[in-house]
Amino acid sequence: MKIKLCKEDKQQFLDISKDRRVFLEGNIIKLIDAGSDDIFKQYLLDAKAQDISNRKKRLEVTKQVQIQNRELIASQEENEKLMSDLKEAVKKADEAKDAALTDLDLMQKKTQFELIGKIVQVALWIIIGVGVFTTALFMFAMFADRDLTIIGNTWSNLFGILLTNSFSIIGTIMGVKYASEGNKNN
Amino acid sequence: MNMINSILLVDDENLFHLVFEDACSLLDITLDLQSITSSDEAARLFEQWKTDSQGKPECVFVDLNIIGSSFNGIELIQKINYEYGNGVVVGIISSSADQEEIDKSLHAGAQFWIVKSDDIEPRLELFREDYEGYKNRTAPFKVYK
Repeated sequence: MKIKLCKEDKQQFLDISKDRRVFLEGNIIKLIDAGSDDIFKQYLLDAKAQDISNRKKRLEVTKQVQIQNRELIASQEENEKLMSDLKEAVKKADEAKDAALTDLDLMQKKTQFELIGKIVQVALWIIIGVGVFTTALFMFAMFADRDLTIIGNTWSNLFGILLTNSFSIIGTIMGVKYASEGNKNN
Repeated sequence: MNMINSILLVDDENLFHLVFEDACSLLDITLDLQSITSSDEAARLFEQWKTDSQGKPECVFVDLNIIGSSFNGIELIQKINYEYGNGVVVGIISSSADQEEIDKSLHAGAQFWIVKSDDIEPRLELFREDYEGYKNRTAPFKVYK
């Protein structure tokens, strides 16, 4: 079914196209019957040509926007994947850092304990050495029938001091040990 | 060449509505094009057309994956064919060309499969050439790649 326009309507369309360059647009052009009016037939051809030109432009732009949208979605997905990979890498780095810190702490503690052990060993050897030396000196004095007053007092004093120091060292070591364990638990 | 009286496009992508509308206009495929974005709306319309066929399209283009809808394109075609009494030329228009999906659509009663791309016009022209066959139910299922 085609639309037939009267002469006045056709003239109005023609006038508007001349004065303001405004043409009919869209599929409605395809439904208008120009009849035998060659001028209006030309008008419809011009309007259709303009409509086709506009649609072609719009189609190109829409297609470009579609392509850009697709690219945008693809790059967004890529970004999300990168972010996820980055988070995973940061998590792994944190885990490695924690492990390294734990190892470092253990190493430090091990070194500390080794040092303490050596100090204790040296201190105990000194204590034993001094104890043995003074005892030997005391025994020598006894067997040699010498005056034992000074050496006896010295021996008992020295032994008392040495025992006190030994227990003091052991107490310090135990204290350090418990303090370290307390920190570790915290 | 004869135009298609009326077309219904069911596709969630609004930009494609514009592309399809312009392509149909430039190729003189139809003057009556209705575009909707969900298969639920399409189902509702077909439910209405069961009692009143006014406005019922002659041909329906359905997207395969209609985001935000209760069912996909193949399910909609199945509904159109088996629940709403058919009476239309119906097929898929999708960017996918997955053979498994194509087979499913054929099973659901689709008559054609048009692969969406940046250059849709040549495929629509070919479709229009075969359209009479689809309308008369004489043309076999075809994929327009």
